[in-house]
Amino acid sequence: MLNNTLAAEVLGKALSTGGDFAEIFAEDTTSQGIVVLSSQVENASTGRQRGVGIRIYKGLNSVYAYTNDLGREGLLRCAADAAAAIGEKGESRDIRLTRSIAPNIHPVRLLPGDVDGKRKAAALLQMDKAARDYSPEVVQVSSSFSGKWQRVQIINSEGLNVQDERVYVRVRVQAIAASGAENQTGSRSPGALQGYEFVEGLDLDALGRGAAQSAVTMLHAENCPAGQMPVVIDDGFGGVIFHEACGHSLEATSVAKGNSVFCGKLGKPIAAPCVSAVDDGTMPGEWGSLNIDDEGNPTQRKQLIKDGVLTSYMIDRLNGRRMGMPSTGSGRRQDYSYAPTSRMNNTFICEGSDDEEEMIRTMGDGLYACRMGGGSVNPVTGEFNFGVDEAYLVRDGRIDRPVRGASLIGKGHEILWNIDRVGRRMTMAQGMCGSMSGSVPTNVGQPRIRVSQITVGGR
Amino acid sequence: MNERMIDRLLEMAKRAGFEQAEAYYTRGESFQASVQEGAVEDYRVESQQGLSLRGLYGGKMGYASTEAVDEDGLEELVRAAKENAALIQNEDETPLHDGSDTIEQKPYEDKISALSAKEKIDLAIAMEKYAKEADERVLRVHGCMIGTETSYRRIRNTLGLDRESSGSLGFAGVSPIIRNGDNMLSGRHFLAFDDFAKLDVKDVAEQAVSDGISYIGASSMPSGAVPVVIRNDTMAVFLGVFAGIFSAASADRGLSLLKGKEGTAVAAPCVTLLDDPFCKDAYSGAAFDGEGVAARCKAVIEDGVFRTLLYDLKYAHKAGVASTGNASRPSYASTVGIAPSNFYIRPGENSREELFRMAGNGVMITDVMGTHAGANPVSGDFSLASKGFLIQNGKVVRPVEQITVAGNFYKLLEGVRAVGSDLYFGLPGACSFGAPSVLVDGLSIAGK
Repeated sequence: MLNNTLAAEVLGKALSTGGDFAEIFAEDTTSQGIVVLSSQVENASTGRQRGVGIRIYKGLNSVYAYTNDLGREGLLRCAADAAAAIGEKGESRDIRLTRSIAPNIHPVRLLPGDVDGKRKAAALLQMDKAARDYSPEVVQVSSSFSGKWQRVQIINSEGLNVQDERVYVRVRVQAIAASGAENQTGSRSPGALQGYEFVEGLDLDALGRGAAQSAVTMLHAENCPAGQMPVVIDDGFGGVIFHEACGHSLEATSVAKGNSVFCGKLGKPIAAPCVSAVDDGTMPGEWGSLNIDDEGNPTQRKQLIKDGVLTSYMIDRLNGRRMGMPSTGSGRRQDYSYAPTSRMNNTFICEGSDDEEEMIRTMGDGLYACRMGGGSVNPVTGEFNFGVDEAYLVRDGRIDRPVRGASLIGKGHEILWNIDRVGRRMTMAQGMCGSMSGSVPTNVGQPRIRVSQITVGGR
Repeated sequence: MNERMIDRLLEMAKRAGFEQAEAYYTRGESFQASVQEGAVEDYRVESQQGLSLRGLYGGKMGYASTEAVDEDGLEELVRAAKENAALIQNEDETPLHDGSDTIEQKPYEDKISALSAKEKIDLAIAMEKYAKEADERVLRVHGCMIGTETSYRRIRNTLGLDRESSGSLGFAGVSPIIRNGDNMLSGRHFLAFDDFAKLDVKDVAEQAVSDGISYIGASSMPSGAVPVVIRNDTMAVFLGVFAGIFSAASADRGLSLLKGKEGTAVAAPCVTLLDDPFCKDAYSGAAFDGEGVAARCKAVIEDGVFRTLLYDLKYAHKAGVASTGNASRPSYASTVGIAPSNFYIRPGENSREELFRMAGNGVMITDVMGTHAGANPVSGDFSLASKGFLIQNGKVVRPVEQITVAGNFYKLLEGVRAVGSDLYFGLPGACSFGAPSVLVDGLSIAGK
């Protein structure tokens, strides 16, 4: 990590052409991946990323440069390259840095790199076996472990010099069920901002069995019918509907430039009154949590929507300047090769008061979407889509039969008004969210909800 | 980083007991500027390099990569690769290449790096201005960017292989925001080029604006199974999403239904699918693949008949065939995978208007969203949010939005009724995907 003298010199160089703010993001990350395929370890790899990104603002203009030449000359050249883009001359500034370590609210007991590879492989083989034991129709299983230890240092011209460590672990199991003419898949992939103790606390047999059960169920499912219908979406990864339909459009990345359907809507109703939603970066050990964001600000819990009324956006430093609002600790980036921008942490619809069984019983004919895939959105138009991995047709208020190949589409600002039931028990699930500043870990979550009308893509 | 570090790494690996070892080094430099309202809004300069080691230790292939290219970094790399080798249980042999084949190395000429940052920024500013002038409904422009990148890679191993290559590429893209009453629409157009002489910023701007404007007044359409024209750019996306089914690794693992189908019909007779690293219309090919093997052109599907999977050395050895030169290693940190180079459907004779006439009543699909979630590369199933244009009596009548198109990629290949003449390649990455527009039967549309 960089010492104060060198950091101050690099920041001084960065500001030498008229910039008004400069920041250094230094990172040293070790990651490990192990893949089990065909019931044996197929692949094991280790990678180390080490680099520095330098950012300069001048008003609302920003410049970003990065390098992994970390010698004094390399860093000064990187700063000079960035400074040359921002202007021609400026005054020298005296920068005083105060070193600190971010208070850690996500304790780690076992660094993933300290755990023997054979122990990790054994866990993967256990999921593999559980999936294969579920049914002879399961013809292939792939399972994987990924661990990451990211050390970051964020230093800026306002005097901040803070360090943080993030430890991630995740396992994934995918089962493939085949009938000869067709393949179907099912998967489970829990993860956390925790050490290897998280994996040791998992029910690995249940994960393997669950993946197999989804794949086999879908192998015997009919194609989902197409058209508009009511849909009940289960808790956990079902929260991806809020993430896509609303979350991205509440990021300052879209809002600051007037490119979101939710611009100018603070304090106004944007959803049915039964909908409240939160983005929270402070939940201990959760996949989307952080002590500090990638701009060095402590993460926060933000009430995005309260009883249908929009109460907060998610804001990073630069877009905060554009909006005249403070950062909400939402500046994130995949790694030093990306400039940060506003992103979600753990985003979920809050618990409501509706009965989970009643909402299916009274829905008539429709779809029960029990496991969601990922999705995407165009924040300008609000058009979103997401895939459904496992779904069931509902006939006259009863779950009738499994269907496959469903997707749900709509416009975010319209669909939020069509939520007419919100259940009592909220759970979260893990995803990787891709956007301008790369791919970052986020949790999505919700209780079981019902949408009165949505377009279902099927055949 | 100097060349000596590669030699040093191979020496250290041999001393640590590796029977064979291979170093793979990549370096990239890139530039990107976005403008808004005539001024630079975002500017990036990037330089990144890294080195990886893969080597046989006790007959197993260990792998590790690092960006810390110094003595300590290299020691750590050798130790990590050795530990990883000890974990491998798979008994398949992973041969390294000795470099005895001949490669068709094109002379490399950099026609990208000559422009200064200021010249590139001026081009972006002009492109924004053209976009705003193209139509009065253009509210503003966001994401108006010009980028350039240069790359270098070198592969060297203890069997005598030592090959290197360089490349450079430029990108231009613009996304105008268009006002339509109270609503906003976004259009977009991107262009990749290997020579700034090929960039016409006025044309890029005008295409982006006409893309956005063409959807004004769009609405949904009735659900049903109708003939679908998949426009060339969207067909190229489909090919990219499902390219994995042509990999010998996928087939070996039971993840592709093409396993053992060589010599049988898997597509309509009008479909020929080529992988050509030397294709002149695309930019992803190289003279040698990620294992240093000479790249070559091959038909994967010829007149509807499946000819070959794509192989790297490991899966070729396992199947008893020669590598097709499709080992993929886009960066120093990538483990060896299998991927096409420039992968495209050979164009046919039909103009797009002829495809509309043959469709009669149906829809042309011009965009699909959320392919990472709505398309399953293992089953081939897809159900994707789309937009496009309604076709009635053989002609385009109005734009369509808020629909999904659903089907199965294996069935889609069989259901191609006609192939257009308008070959188009999507933006190049590690691979380029290209296609003409195609008319397909058997897909389902969900709408109202």
